[in-house]
Amino acid sequence: MDFNIDSTGFWLFLGHSPPGKPEILKCRSPEKETFTCWWKPGTDGGLPTNYTLTYHKEGETITYECPDYKTGGPNSCYFNKKHTSIWKIYNITINATNQMGSSSSDPHYVDVIYIVEPDPPVNLTLEVKQPEDRKPYLWIKWLPPTLVDINSGWLTLQYEIRLKPEKTAVWETHFAGRQTQFSVLSLYSGQKYLVQVRCKPDHGFWSKWSPESSIEIPSDFIVKDTTVWIF
Amino acid sequence: CPRGSVRCQVSLPDLFDRAVMLSHYIHSLSSDMFHEFNKQYALGRGFIPRAINSCHTSSISTPEDKEQAQQIHHGDLLNLVLTMLRSWNDPLDHLASEVHSLPKAPSALLTKATEVKEQNERLLEGIEKIVDQVHPGAKENKAYSVWSGLPSLQTADENTRLFAFYNLFRCLSRDSHKIDSYLKLLKCRIVYNNNC
Repeated sequence: MDFNIDSTGFWLFLGHSPPGKPEILKCRSPEKETFTCWWKPGTDGGLPTNYTLTYHKEGETITYECPDYKTGGPNSCYFNKKHTSIWKIYNITINATNQMGSSSSDPHYVDVIYIVEPDPPVNLTLEVKQPEDRKPYLWIKWLPPTLVDINSGWLTLQYEIRLKPEKTAVWETHFAGRQTQFSVLSLYSGQKYLVQVRCKPDHGFWSKWSPESSIEIPSDFIVKDTTVWIF
Repeated sequence: CPRGSVRCQVSLPDLFDRAVMLSHYIHSLSSDMFHEFNKQYALGRGFIPRAINSCHTSSISTPEDKEQAQQIHHGDLLNLVLTMLRSWNDPLDHLASEVHSLPKAPSALLTKATEVKEQNERLLEGIEKIVDQVHPGAKENKAYSVWSGLPSLQTADENTRLFAFYNLFRCLSRDSHKIDSYLKLLKCRIVYNNNC
């Protein structure tokens, strides 16, 4: 029997519907050279749904499709360096299609310079220093996020650190400027401290805090009174 | 000669430090103004699709990204910065004097427009000094892109006028970012040999 079912065979799909409207959640550039956009699918209408991201760039009439759906994870589109222009507005739309029909998100305008949010700094290391002639202190150092090109000046980063004894709730925050190290002098001895660091580009958003690093402050860590001996 | 100066001139590293501080400040002010303007005047007016590709400086061909910018000879990149700064002299003058015509113009916008105009002139002066030191005797670059947007900033039709402001703020914010990015690259290239 010749029985050809196409997508208009609505009787097969009772209870099925075209996909709901997808929504663009966020676009982010970690280093002002590439960026990724993520979207939230709408309802799937009970059917397998195919998502595409299309965009056009300021001053061009060509509509492009997302160059890379994989690198940024599910429901995302990654624009590598070749596809990233930092001085053109992108007009981005998500299209969802299933056998019953299709729907599109609202257009989303992206200006890459306004979505720069670096990854957190890396290699956060902590060390208690107890010099003989000076007060003991906690020495904190870190490295800029690996993706960011600091050397050329394309991005300038500033840092903030925060620390607290493990059992307390309130973080103590310090602005470190552009340096990648910081010393903290006044600490409670015999406590385990948690430390985190984050960074902010010259124009852009703070990164997330780095994973916590911790260090035990020895119980003989005593900030001595300065005594002046007069002979 | 004051301390730290070379042949009674402000040294090149110092000039770049000051220039980058200014360009950074100008871009911060400019993007603040753009956001403030958007919040108060542009919501729901569909300005973005209309604004696409219409800055008076669009005819100046500028590097698209870091790689392109790094391939340009530093003298040419400096000249690009000069051309862009000059192209903004005239519109910034008018922006500062016309902002008050916006309905219920917030005073912060007035202050910032004046500030950007003044700082832009100052930065231009600084970049000229830098060019003097990097390429003494280089032929003077007086090129700039002409802005002809004054009538639309003064038109009686409110929607047209708001759009003209919108576009000017948007272009200023973008161009000040270009200038800031190029200057930061130049500083690292010329002063720190690409090792900032």
